[in-house]
Amino acid sequence: MKIKDAEIIALMQNPRTLEKGIRALMDAYQSRLYWHIRRIIVDGDLAQDTLQETFIKAYQNFHQFKNDSQLYTWLYRIATNEALQQINKLKKMQKTDEDPEYYMQNLVADNTHSDAEEIQVFLQKAIQSLPEKQKLVFMMRYYDDLPYEEISKIVDMSVGTLKTNYHYAKQKIEEYIKENYEK
Amino acid sequence: MKDFDLEKLERKNIYKLPENMFESIQERVLSEMNDFDLEKLERKNIYKVSDHLFENVQENVIMQLNVNKKAPIFKLNWGYAAAASLALIFGSAFVYNSFSDSNDDNTSVKNYASNNSDQKKESEVAYETLKSDLTSVENNNQTIDNQQKNQQIKTVAYVPEKTEAKPQTVKPVSKKTEAQMSEYLDSFSNSEIAELANNSTQDVYLDLYN
Repeated sequence: MKIKDAEIIALMQNPRTLEKGIRALMDAYQSRLYWHIRRIIVDGDLAQDTLQETFIKAYQNFHQFKNDSQLYTWLYRIATNEALQQINKLKKMQKTDEDPEYYMQNLVADNTHSDAEEIQVFLQKAIQSLPEKQKLVFMMRYYDDLPYEEISKIVDMSVGTLKTNYHYAKQKIEEYIKENYEK
Repeated sequence: MKDFDLEKLERKNIYKLPENMFESIQERVLSEMNDFDLEKLERKNIYKVSDHLFENVQENVIMQLNVNKKAPIFKLNWGYAAAASLALIFGSAFVYNSFSDSNDDNTSVKNYASNNSDQKKESEVAYETLKSDLTSVENNNQTIDNQQKNQQIKTVAYVPEKTEAKPQTVKPVSKKTEAQMSEYLDSFSNSEIAELANNSTQDVYLDLYN
C-alpha cells in the first residue's frame, strides 16, 4: 500500500515516529530521486552517496519544509542541489585540459548495461552534451514528467524560460542522435 | 544428367524482386531517422545498479541519523550568545562588587581590631600611668611634707637613694625599672600599702597590687 505524503509528513513531525517517517519517505521517493541524481552524476557510487546525503539533509532540515509545496518538489530541490555540488567537485578535480563533456560521455559508456539499446546510449550521451539548465529541465520533464510549475520551484526559473529551455534541449538531442546514429 | 556437377552450376537468384527495392529501403531508413521523434522513444534507465542499493542507502542513512542524535550539532544562536555574555558580565560584576563589599567589611573588622589594639595600647598606657603614679607616690614619699606627715613610717624607701627620681617625669617603663618597682613594692608591708592606698586617689589601679 502506497503511503501518502500527508502521512509521511505527520510521522516526520512527531519525534516519536520520526524514524518511521524517514523510512516511509525513503521507501516512497528513493527510486525516483536516485534516477534523477544518477542521470545528472552518471557515476553509480557517487549517485548512491548523493542520495544518502539528500535524505540526511531532508531529515535535518525538515522543520524548514512548508506544506505550501509538494513533498517531492522539496526533495527534488535538495537532490538537485546535492547532485550539482558533486558535479562541480568532479569538474574541479578534473584535469584542466580535459573536456568535461567528453569526460561525461565516456562515463556514460562505462556505466551502461552491456545489453542497453544503442539509441538509448546515444540519448544519454546527448543529454550530457547539454548546458546545465537545459539538462536539468529536460530530465525532469522527459523522464519524471514533472509539471513546469513544479520544475520552476525546484530550479528557480520561470515557466516560460523552462519551456524554452526544454524546446532547445529536445532539438539539440534529436540533432545529436541523427548525426551520430547514422554513422 | 548423369554427368551433373553442382560445382559447375551457375549461382543465380531466381526470386522476383520489386523494382527499385534497395533504393526504397534506403529512402525509408533515412526518412525514419529524419522523422526521429524523441517523444516516441521508450523511457529507460540504462545504467548499471549495484545489488541491494536501496537497502544499503536506508541502512546508512538511519545509522548516520542515530550517530547524529547521539552527538547533536550545536548551532550557535548569536542572540542567545549575546544574552549569555551579558549575563556573564553582569554576574561577574555583581560577584566582584559583593566581594569588594566583603573586603570593606574585612577592612572595618580590621579597623575594629586595630581599634581594639588601640584599646590595648590604652590599657598599656593606663598601666604605665599606674606605674608612673606609683613612682610619683614613691617620690612624694620622699618629699619633706610627706615625711613630716608620715613621720612614724620608716623611710625604707630611702634605700634606693641613688634613684632620686624627679617626681614629675613619667618615663617609659623599662624592664629594669619594673624589677626595681617590684623590689620597692615588696619592701612595703601590707599595712603600709593599705595606708598608701588610702592616701591615693587611684584606688582602682592600686587594687591591682593588693
